[in-house]
Amino acid sequence: MDLTEIRKDFPILQPKDGAKPIVYLDTACQSLRPLPVIEAVLEYYIDYPACSGRSMHKLAARVTEKCADARSQLARFIGANKPEEVIFTRNTTEGINLIANSLDLKSGDAVLISGKEHNSNLIPWQMLVKNKGIQLKVLPPKEDGTFDLARFESMLDASVKLVSFGYSSNLDGVTIPVEKIIKLAHKNGSLVLLDAAQATPHRALNARALDVDFMAFSGHKMLGPSGTGVLYGKKKLLEALTPFMVGGETVARSTYETCEFLPVPERFEAGLQDYAGIIGLAEASKYLQRVGFDAIQKQEALLTRTVQEGIQSIPGLRIIGPADPGLRGGITTFYIEGVDSHRIAIMLDQMANVCVRSGQHCVHSWFNARGIAGSVRASVYFYNTLEEVSIFTENLQKIRKVL
Amino acid sequence: MFCIVAAIVLSILGIFSASNRKLAAEALDCVFHRITFRPCTTGFDEKMKAKILGFAITRSERSARWLNKHFELLSWTFFIIMLAASVMFIRGIVLFYTTGNCNGATSEAFCIFDPTGENTRTSSAEDGGACPIPTDINNGGKLSIEGIDLSLWPVENKGAENQLVFIGCYACEYTREVYPSIRALVDKFEPEFYFGEYPTKLKTDYLSHVGYCVYDQDPEKYWQMNDALFAEDVSLLEDNAATDQILTGLGLDMAAIDACAADPATEEAVQKLFAEIQKTNFYGTPTIFINGEPIVGPKPYRVYAIQMEGFFYWLK
Repeated sequence: MDLTEIRKDFPILQPKDGAKPIVYLDTACQSLRPLPVIEAVLEYYIDYPACSGRSMHKLAARVTEKCADARSQLARFIGANKPEEVIFTRNTTEGINLIANSLDLKSGDAVLISGKEHNSNLIPWQMLVKNKGIQLKVLPPKEDGTFDLARFESMLDASVKLVSFGYSSNLDGVTIPVEKIIKLAHKNGSLVLLDAAQATPHRALNARALDVDFMAFSGHKMLGPSGTGVLYGKKKLLEALTPFMVGGETVARSTYETCEFLPVPERFEAGLQDYAGIIGLAEASKYLQRVGFDAIQKQEALLTRTVQEGIQSIPGLRIIGPADPGLRGGITTFYIEGVDSHRIAIMLDQMANVCVRSGQHCVHSWFNARGIAGSVRASVYFYNTLEEVSIFTENLQKIRKVL
Repeated sequence: MFCIVAAIVLSILGIFSASNRKLAAEALDCVFHRITFRPCTTGFDEKMKAKILGFAITRSERSARWLNKHFELLSWTFFIIMLAASVMFIRGIVLFYTTGNCNGATSEAFCIFDPTGENTRTSSAEDGGACPIPTDINNGGKLSIEGIDLSLWPVENKGAENQLVFIGCYACEYTREVYPSIRALVDKFEPEFYFGEYPTKLKTDYLSHVGYCVYDQDPEKYWQMNDALFAEDVSLLEDNAATDQILTGLGLDMAAIDACAADPATEEAVQKLFAEIQKTNFYGTPTIFINGEPIVGPKPYRVYAIQMEGFFYWLK
């Protein structure tokens, strides 16, 4: 991987005269976008800004073709059996909500989630507890944040109809053993939904090999445009779902009394889609494939280890998650006893244009259960450099001396 | 405490910028939470503190550490300074409105709302005037009409509820500037109005004698004479013939007035009046006492009206 060449693709990383460079360590929130993605989006708006699938003119035909190509590309990217198993959404949250509201869960049925889920994989189920009377079971992580497989197995019973886990945690970067989880869940007769928002940007996925039932991810964390995402589902399972959001583009025909839904995936894609975003998302997936996930993971591991080395001696600093940086992907989340996390983040930004995330990272439940006010999350990606990591750690050390 | 300081500063800056308005709203929300003994939920104080420390640390780690350690104390200090400055500022505005100067009716100190000192100018005898300003300071140098014998001063509306004592000079620029306001005030509110003519400028001291005699002959004509003299071109006031023409025009007996003015008894009375005027410790014209309170320099009409009738004079 030629990092110098890669960084040329990211306009915001280009040095500007007299200005301090941006040190972007907030990829877990949203990644930067390379030029090919930006150009693909622009190309849509400039060259063929039309509807897909509806109109008969040349521009519409081109959009239809581009969107179909995008669906096929994304199906290949995640190892889906067929392009129809790819549903375009706005983000992971929408994908999970689609499942929560379309799956035939009844009162007494249980959904099992982990104890450090993003709100997107918690609140939809809480709503079902309230509205349908389902049960929500929460599997606590081990003390070091890793997945407790034995306890998971013990919690599986006939009531558990769905297991919904974050593939990689946005809190501490820990990736769960999905193959084993899926096997155990299927053995129990449970379906498996993966929140792959933090996994898709960092590792090659193969839905078919994993045998996962549903999987949701966002475009904006994997170099794609904001407001794009995918819900993967096995075709048979998708066909059994009752559409959640309906209306334009979801039906083949309708009368005043009835309608006939389109086949999957269109029946789940209500309203006019973000065609530019979809095309840009496909371009992002191609870009990631060109860089290669082996190279991405290698760079992330190096950077995360360097972060760890740079901050571990800071007095009062506590890292959330496993001590071994190799288990945390590109994420290093920490807090300093008695110091407001937002203060650290603002100071880093003020001092050296270091962009990190602070607060509870949409995992309020985990923080509130432990009485921790918040934390700082530095998330690296393949486009970050060791020099950037040094800027971050050196400035963090300075801050610690002052606070 | 930081929130309060920030709320005030940002509210002022918010007048000019929308981004500051948003911050001001956060700061005010923070203040509201703090005064109701709840933690600030906007994170405003943390955010601002972090920005300040982030800025400071790039200059000097040591000063940033000191700033962080004493942040609350510094906030309190700034708050107290700001409070004091605000009180002074408001006091200055009120004083400017009510007395024409931020520092009070008799002050000549700099006032931001009257940077050129328009309202505090006075005429003294330094520029070749006829009469010296007082050198014998009475009552510790304080401007006062206490103990002054006003029986020799020309008076209008005798016995009225309010009292206005006006020390001025026909040829003095600032007396002439303020005279229309004083006249309007007397016409509207009809106070007991004393006029002490003290010729500090030019050679117009003869007018003191003339004035004494006119008042003696016909008090009503005296006030008409004053109006005419203050309306006259100042350069003509040194010319007896021009003055005589004015007086004749008012229907006065000039022969009798000339005889009166030459009478040693008139000279004695005029000097007595000057002596009484000097006892007020005035140092320039115009000096005005409204119900005993001194006002120095040509002030706007509202200043005299407020002094006489209160803040809501315009309702009367």
